[in-house]
Amino acid sequence: MAEREIWSAADLLARLEHRGKFFILDVRNREEFERVRLEGRTPLPAVNVPYFEMLELGGKDDMLDSVIAYMERELASQLPRDQPILAVCAKGDTSDYVAQGLSRLGYASATLKGGMKVWSEHYSARTVVEDADLAIYQISRPARGCLSYIVAGAGKAIVIDALRHLHPYLDLARNLDWVHSRGLEITAVIDTHGHADHISGGTALAAAAGAPYYLHPFDAIHPTDVLPATIAYNFISDGQAFPIGRHELKALHIPGHTLGLVALRLGDRYLFTGDSIFIRSVARPDLGGKAEAWAPLHARSLRRLLTLPGGITVLPGHFSTLDEADDSGRFAGTLDDLKKRNEGLQVLQREGEAGFIRYLLESLPRFNPDYLDIKRVNAGLLKPAEEDAATLELGKNVCALSQAYTATGGAS
Amino acid sequence: MSQAFDKQFDARGMNCPMPLVNARKEIAKIERGQVLKVLATDKGSVADFQGWAKVAKNVQLVAQETETADGTCVYVHYVMRKA
Repeated sequence: MAEREIWSAADLLARLEHRGKFFILDVRNREEFERVRLEGRTPLPAVNVPYFEMLELGGKDDMLDSVIAYMERELASQLPRDQPILAVCAKGDTSDYVAQGLSRLGYASATLKGGMKVWSEHYSARTVVEDADLAIYQISRPARGCLSYIVAGAGKAIVIDALRHLHPYLDLARNLDWVHSRGLEITAVIDTHGHADHISGGTALAAAAGAPYYLHPFDAIHPTDVLPATIAYNFISDGQAFPIGRHELKALHIPGHTLGLVALRLGDRYLFTGDSIFIRSVARPDLGGKAEAWAPLHARSLRRLLTLPGGITVLPGHFSTLDEADDSGRFAGTLDDLKKRNEGLQVLQREGEAGFIRYLLESLPRFNPDYLDIKRVNAGLLKPAEEDAATLELGKNVCALSQAYTATGGAS
Repeated sequence: MSQAFDKQFDARGMNCPMPLVNARKEIAKIERGQVLKVLATDKGSVADFQGWAKVAKNVQLVAQETETADGTCVYVHYVMRKA
């Protein structure tokens, strides 16, 4: 019998980040597998056989016996012997039988604890900077490609683009041991815009922390329903400053992806770009259903960001692939660096606003209709139960143009 | 909606893959042409019973429905033994 391991979501992330070699045997049904897969820095070798096919075609009464019979007969030629095989299912119970079967057959095997459900709700925190008077933590939800931030100074913290689960922020704020402060008081929660791809934790976190929640008023109107938000929020306006210790975050209104999108600038050092500039791509302008009207705004806003000091570090609201991370797993780059690496910014610099608008409109990804409901949830117009909220958020965000290519099967 | 059935199997509270593993054992106990009604609380069972019925030669998925009992959603599968 070969070795059988149990990998937590954190174990899996570490292996994905460090390009660990392993093979995936995904036993969810084919639709789920096509919809949401594990993704690494590079494409991961995987085979999908739904567990009920193994059970039925293996032909035994017992789950484990069937799985073993099926794999021995049908999968032996596809399963590698030189690397561990990770069994993956929806919730982590079925994959355990599969890993046991693999191990009985002499394969080094592992099971993903909690399955894709736990993976999709896994959060990871990385330090961007930790000076005497400024700390920034990037909190990611790797399965969804979502990024959020805690900016801290003098024992206070501002949270930017809080994601749906609050524990990553509350735990970090409560337990952080940094310079002379033990724990942080959250003094403001800011959404850079009304999100379409994920349910915001902004208002809930603000309520839990007793802090005000901020949103630009243009994003407090649902773009297709044209109905006002029912959530409690404070207005953000262009140029507004949010002090944090000796520093301040200054809002720059940069409409395009949404009408109320703001970037937050911390001096000449950091720029939280929300959904405008990502590492390798730029945001899409069509999620309000008005791509042709919004694309020119997007072009003008990005031009404005390009005039900022080249040494400023961009901290985006999303990533498209794990390979956009640096060696320490952070998604960040200086503006000068992104001018060279980011496809959208290169088009804008080379072809001007007209060329950039053409590029945006020609490379729009498929529109996910769930995004309209997610915006309704974020505006307080719809209140889903937990299971429905998780279903709405299935899969990875497609807020960036870069995924247009993967989605349509073209070059990326 | 009332779908006729010959035997009922209660898989409420069972996690994947047990509703399907056990339903498969139960269906071996009924006669050809008879229908097994399966109650499950695992939401994933809806797609899994559909996928299973496609590969299993001796079963046919006759109907699926949801019921709400004491605030929890119950997924009901009617499976006929064909052979």
